[in-house]
Amino acid sequence: MAIRYEDANEGVRHIFLSGRLDTAGSEQIASEFASLAGSEKRGVVVHLSDVTFLSSMGIRALIAGAKAQQAQGGRMVLHVAGNDVVSRTLEATGIDDLIPMFEDDDDAERALLN
Amino acid sequence: MPASVKQSRVELTIHADTWDARRASVWLESAALAQSVPAEQIVRLDHCLDEALANVIKHGGDTARAAAVVLQFCVRRGQGVFTAELMVVDEGAAFDPSVLPEGPMPKPASLAEASLGGLGLLMIRNFSDELSYRRSKGRNHLTICVSWTAAT
Repeated sequence: MAIRYEDANEGVRHIFLSGRLDTAGSEQIASEFASLAGSEKRGVVVHLSDVTFLSSMGIRALIAGAKAQQAQGGRMVLHVAGNDVVSRTLEATGIDDLIPMFEDDDDAERALLN
Repeated sequence: MPASVKQSRVELTIHADTWDARRASVWLESAALAQSVPAEQIVRLDHCLDEALANVIKHGGDTARAAAVVLQFCVRRGQGVFTAELMVVDEGAAFDPSVLPEGPMPKPASLAEASLGGLGLLMIRNFSDELSYRRSKGRNHLTICVSWTAAT
C-alpha cells in the first residue's frame, strides 16, 4: 500500500493511493491519509485508479477524510479512472452518493473548482 | 449421478490478525484458481474473507485473538451452477449475521450522517450470494457462498 500527494494550483491537493486497501493496508495509511485529506481547508482529489482492493476499512478512511474536509469548509472527490473493482465496491456501499466519484481526472478537479 | 459434486476441501489455519488476514487472501486466491473459479468470483470471495476476518479481529474479543481461525474452501457443482463455499471458524464472541433484517441495509442520506460502522456486513452481504451461520462447541462457523453459471 502506498500513498503520495501533490499540491496543485488553486488549493487543490491530489492524493494518490495504490495497492491493496484491505484491512491491513488501510491501517497502514489511515493516519497519513487523514492528515493529508482533512487537516486544512482545500479541494482534495483522491486517486484510486491504482487501488487493487477496497475494504470497508479503506472506505471508512475515505469517509473520515471527506467528513474532516467538509468540517474545514472544503470538499473531497474520488477519481476512479475505469477501476471497476473499486467502482463496484463504492456503488455497492452507496459511498458514491456521499463522495462524488469521477472517471476523468479533469472532471474531478473541475467539480472542486466550481 | 449425484445432484451435486463437491471438489476437495482445502484448509488453512491462521492467527486473528490483519497480516495473517492478508496471508489468508493469498491462500484463497491460490485455492480458488486451482479449482478454476473465475477471477470475478475470486474478487467477491476475497472481499467477503477480508471483512469476515476484520470482524473477528475487531469484535471477537480476547478469545478470538488468542485462538486460531480455521478457513475451509471448496467448490460444488450442480446442474450447471458452480458454488464456491468459504467457511470461517473462530472462537470469538457469538455473532450471527443472518439475524440482521432481510433486504438491503439502509444507506446514509448525507456525508454528515454517514456512520463509520456496519460497512463490513454490508459488503459481505453485497459480495456473497448466501450466508449461513451456526455456533457449535464455542465456535462461530460462518459460511459464505458465491455462485456462477458455467457461462460466466
